[in-house]
Amino acid sequence: MTFYAPFCLPFLLGAIFMFAALAWKWGRWLKRLPRKDKLLIRKGIFSSATLRAIREVILESLIHRKIYRVNPLLGYMHMSLAFGWFLLIVVGWIETVFYMGFRWVPIQGHVFFKYFATGIDHNAVFEFLMDFLLMMVLSGVALAWTKRFMSRRMGMRRTTRHVPGDRLALSVLWFIFPARLVAESLICALYGGGGFLTGSLGGVFAAVFPRDVLLYLNETSWWIYSWCLGLFFVALPFSRYMHIFTEIPLIFLRAYRLKSTEKVSSYDHFQIEACSRCGICIDPCQLQSVLGVNNVQSVYFLRDRRYHMLTREVADNCLMCGRCAERCPVGIDLNTLRLNSRDKIRNMPADRRYSYLNGIDRSSGTGKVGYFAGCMTLLTPRILDAMNRIFTASGDEVWWADKEGGVCCGRPLKLSGETDAARKMMEYNTDLFRKHGITTLVTSCPICLKVFREDYHLEGIEVIHHSEYILRLIRTGKLRLEHGSTPFTYHDPCELGRGSGIYDEPRKVISAVGTLLEPRDTREHALCCGSSVANTAISDAQQLKIARAVTSELEETGAEVIVTACPLCKKALGRGATHEVKDLAEIVAGAMK
Amino acid sequence: MAAINFGYTISKPRAIDIDRNNLRKSDEILREMPELQACIGCGACTAVCTAGRLTDFNIRRVHTLVRRGEYKGLYEELNKCMLCGKCRLVCPRGINTRGVIMLIKRKLGDF
Repeated sequence: MTFYAPFCLPFLLGAIFMFAALAWKWGRWLKRLPRKDKLLIRKGIFSSATLRAIREVILESLIHRKIYRVNPLLGYMHMSLAFGWFLLIVVGWIETVFYMGFRWVPIQGHVFFKYFATGIDHNAVFEFLMDFLLMMVLSGVALAWTKRFMSRRMGMRRTTRHVPGDRLALSVLWFIFPARLVAESLICALYGGGGFLTGSLGGVFAAVFPRDVLLYLNETSWWIYSWCLGLFFVALPFSRYMHIFTEIPLIFLRAYRLKSTEKVSSYDHFQIEACSRCGICIDPCQLQSVLGVNNVQSVYFLRDRRYHMLTREVADNCLMCGRCAERCPVGIDLNTLRLNSRDKIRNMPADRRYSYLNGIDRSSGTGKVGYFAGCMTLLTPRILDAMNRIFTASGDEVWWADKEGGVCCGRPLKLSGETDAARKMMEYNTDLFRKHGITTLVTSCPICLKVFREDYHLEGIEVIHHSEYILRLIRTGKLRLEHGSTPFTYHDPCELGRGSGIYDEPRKVISAVGTLLEPRDTREHALCCGSSVANTAISDAQQLKIARAVTSELEETGAEVIVTACPLCKKALGRGATHEVKDLAEIVAGAMK
Repeated sequence: MAAINFGYTISKPRAIDIDRNNLRKSDEILREMPELQACIGCGACTAVCTAGRLTDFNIRRVHTLVRRGEYKGLYEELNKCMLCGKCRLVCPRGINTRGVIMLIKRKLGDF
C-alpha cells in the first residue's frame, strides 16, 4: 500500500510550515527568557512540578475543566473540539497499527488512512469508534456556529470580535470536520465499510449518485479536506489558534514558577499567545456591562499587544479589578500583563524624583504595632477615628506612620506604569518602618496592603489588614463587642479579596456585630466599586454609574448598612448609595462595649 | 560679598502676557480633557495633596500656569506628585485630576 496521493500536498506543506513556525517562535521566546527564569526551568524540569504540569495539560488543554466550571455548554464545546480531535488522532493511529502492524506509515497515511485503506477488511469496532469521535467533534463545531451567531444561547452575552486572520482560520476550522465527514462517506459509498455515520451517509451517496460522479466527488472532497487542514495549519501560528500549542509550554513554565513582572519579559509571550480569545473575560467586565466600553477587555488588550497595535487608551482603560482573571480558563495573569504594558509605555528613569523625601519623618507615637493609614484613609477621618478607638481598646502601643501626612505607598503610581518612581516611595516607606522597629504593620487600605505584601521587602514585619487585626482582637478577648440586630451587607474590595485573598476575616468581624447578607456577586466574583486607582481613563460620571450599579445590587439584599473594608470603596459607594456606607472599623468601634 | 539678610525679599517683577505665550500645548491639553474648563480653581485638590503636605507642590498653581502657557519647570514640578488620587476624590467638579496630571506630563515631557 502506498501512502501518497497529490491531494496530500496542501496538508503536508501546511503541517511542515506550522511546526517550523512553532519551533521558531518557542525557540526565540525561550532563548530570550531572563537568566533567573532559565534557572527556574532547569531546577523544575526534573521535579514533581513536571508531573503536575502533565496532569494539568490533560485536564485543561484537552478536557477544559475550567471552562466547564464557568459554563458547562461552553466547556463541552471546547472539549469536544480539542479532546475529540486529539482522540481522533490517537485512535486513528491505533487503527493504523491494528491494520498495518508496527511499520512506518508517513503522517499523511495516518491522517488520510480511510482514503488509502480501501482494500482491507474493516473492523467494526474501529469504524464505530472513529465515527463516534467524528460525531463528537462535529457536535462541537455545531455549537461553535451557534455561539458565533447566537452567543446568548451559549450563556454568553457577548462573544469576541475577531481580526481578519482569525476569521479565516475560524472559517477553515469550521469546514475541516464537515469536509472530513463528506470525504470519508464518499469513500464508503465507493468501497464499502464505515460506521453509523460515514457508512450511512455513504449509503445515501451511493443511492443518489452514479459511480463516475462518486469518483469525481470523492477526489474533490479529499482535496478540499486537505486544503482546509493545510490552510488551518498555516494560519494557526498567527491566529488565536496558536493557543492550542502555546497553552502546553505555558502550563509547564507556570509549574516551574515563572511569573510575569512589572517589566515586560519573554515569558509574557507564552501568556499572550496562550489566549484563545474565547471571550469569557468580556462578560464580567463592568466597563462593558455598565459603561458599554467594548474595545478594552483583556481579550482585546492581549490581541492588540500581540499584534503590536496596542494603544495607550486601551492599556489605560482598565479597573484592574481582576474579575476577568478570576474567570480566565487559561489562567493568564491579566493584571500583570496590563501593568507591564503601561510600564513600557510610560515608565521613565526616576533617579532624581522624590529627592524631597530625604529626612522626612512625620510619624508619631511608639510601639511594636505600626499603623499605616494610607492616603485614602487620611481622607476618611471616620475610619481614622474608629481605628484610634480600636487601638486604645486593644491596649497595644501603636506607632502612627502617617497621621500627620505621610508618603503614599507607591501602588497608584505603579499601577499607572511609573514603576521606577514608585520604587522610590517604597524604599522610603521601608526605611521608615525599619527605623521605628515595628514588628506588625496594620493598614486599613487594601491598596497599601497589597503593595506592602508584594513589592516591599518587609521580612520580619508582619503586614496585616485591619480586618485581620480586629478579628485577632476579638478572638483574644481584647475587644468585646455588642451583637446587634442590624442587617449588614459586605462589599469585597478588589485589592483585598481577589488581590490579597482576604474574604473570611471581614465577614467574621461583621458577624460578630450583626447579621451579614451576601449580595448576588460576592467573594471572588464581587463587583468593583468603579473608582479603582488603576483606571485614569474613565470620567467621574462613568465612575458614578458603576458605583450606582454596584450599590443597587448591594441594596437588593435588604441590608440597612453597606459595609466595606477599603476607604476608597467607601468613598465610591457612598456616592451611589441610598443607604449608609461604613467601613468595617466604624461598625466595630460603634459596637464596642 | 554675601547678600545682607534684611528679613524680607522683593519678588522679581513678573508679567504674564497671554498674547505672547505659546498656548499650543495648553490648547492641546484642553482639547483632550475638556472637563478642565469646569475647574473653578477652588484649591481642594491642593488642600488634600499628599505631596503638597511635604513640599510646596501646588497642583492648582501648576494647572493655572499650564492654562496660561507658562510651562517652564512644570514638568519637574509635576514629578513631585505621587498620583495617590486624593485630589480626584475631593474635586467638586468631578475632574479626573490624575488623568490631567498624566496628560500634562505627557505633553510637557517626552513620553
